[in-house]
Amino acid sequence: MVLKVKDLGKSFGKTSIFKQVSFDVDKGEIVCIKGKSGEGKTTLLRCINDLEKADAGSIEINGLIMCKEENGHIKYAAKDEMLSIRQEIGLVFQSYNLFPHMTVKENLMEAPLFLKKMPKNQIEQSAMELLNQLELDGKENSYPYQLSGGQKQRVAIARACMLNPSILCFDEPTSALDESTRMQISKIIRQLSAQGIAIIIVTHDNAFVDEIAQRVITLSKGSISEKLI
Amino acid sequence: MMEMKVLNMLVPMTLSGLVTTLGVFIITLVVSVPLSIVVAKLRMSKNLFVSNITAAYIYVMRGTPLLLQLMFIFFGYHYVPVIGYAFGRYQAIFVAFILNYTAYFAEIFRGGINSIDVGQYEASKVLGLSKSHTFMKIVLPQVMKTVMPSVGNEVITLVKDTSLVYILGVTEILKAAKAVSNTYATFSPYIYIGLVYLLITAVLTKVLNKVENKFNYYR
Repeated sequence: MVLKVKDLGKSFGKTSIFKQVSFDVDKGEIVCIKGKSGEGKTTLLRCINDLEKADAGSIEINGLIMCKEENGHIKYAAKDEMLSIRQEIGLVFQSYNLFPHMTVKENLMEAPLFLKKMPKNQIEQSAMELLNQLELDGKENSYPYQLSGGQKQRVAIARACMLNPSILCFDEPTSALDESTRMQISKIIRQLSAQGIAIIIVTHDNAFVDEIAQRVITLSKGSISEKLI
Repeated sequence: MMEMKVLNMLVPMTLSGLVTTLGVFIITLVVSVPLSIVVAKLRMSKNLFVSNITAAYIYVMRGTPLLLQLMFIFFGYHYVPVIGYAFGRYQAIFVAFILNYTAYFAEIFRGGINSIDVGQYEASKVLGLSKSHTFMKIVLPQVMKTVMPSVGNEVITLVKDTSLVYILGVTEILKAAKAVSNTYATFSPYIYIGLVYLLITAVLTKVLNKVENKFNYYR
């Protein structure tokens, strides 16, 4: 298991978004989380990526504990530990959130350079390899505004992959893409899964779920049901 | 003939006044811009005490005339025993200008920082970038692009505000014009000095446009 979520709960004020949500994700598995608008799919994904703090339950990523319940209170990992956990999980945002003032290559290199995972020339080489793999060669010196939606999506995937995550999350990856770009993205997701990266996709696009999911988790009225495909 | 006499007196006085005008302008700009980024961050602090103190400082600086602030800092130390220190003329000028312009720039930067999409912070966090790195490398370069037109406005205003130092008996270019005007009972020195201000503003506008264009490499 690369991800273990147990009895996770989240509320905003008095409004409970979800409670006692538990599921696991295996290495290389493609899991889709679907549900109607406002059911908390994105909030769940944000909790897994530490963009929202959960109120209850535990999250374990690749053996590292992000949060767990102790004496009725949720306790998060210390800052240094959280940094290691964060490198195990990547997120491709619905609106990509690329850094507009940086070129494609700079977008990819920023985090590895900061985290000093490798020498600069090695980081640059991995960035170029990833861009090549995602059919973005020739775009390394372009700025995000010069790219199409599908290209931005692929840059966002490449940027997340630069830290070699065990899990890659996607928030509504097909919401702004045409049919051919959608096919391209699903091909890339399958390739990443074949490389052993666990994929979690939050979407309400049923056709995409049918096309790509190995397991479907449906979030409804604050709790989940699972279906193997 | 008369105009020659005026110019003979005005030119050397203007050149010497220009040192003060440009000195106040450059030092205020160089110190207050970086300081205003710090003040903007303090104003946005989640710590209510820090945020309120900063808001009060900005309120006082923006709510009273710079002329009054200059007088208060130079003459008014008797009324603020906590300071217990008498500033020299130039010290008072620099302190007043820096405090005043930092407040204005801080509000401009606060607006710029607030305009940055939350997604930029979230992307940085997910990528493991530290808060300071996110601010310096991701947020600030984007803020600079947003705030440049407003900062440019303040920069132009600053050039003209330097004329207020006359209140502390320091000669800058406008005071030089006044002295020559009084000597020869003519208005023409003010016209010449008006042209000097326009020339400085023209150069600054050109420089500011170049800086703004430098940020146009992305959208």
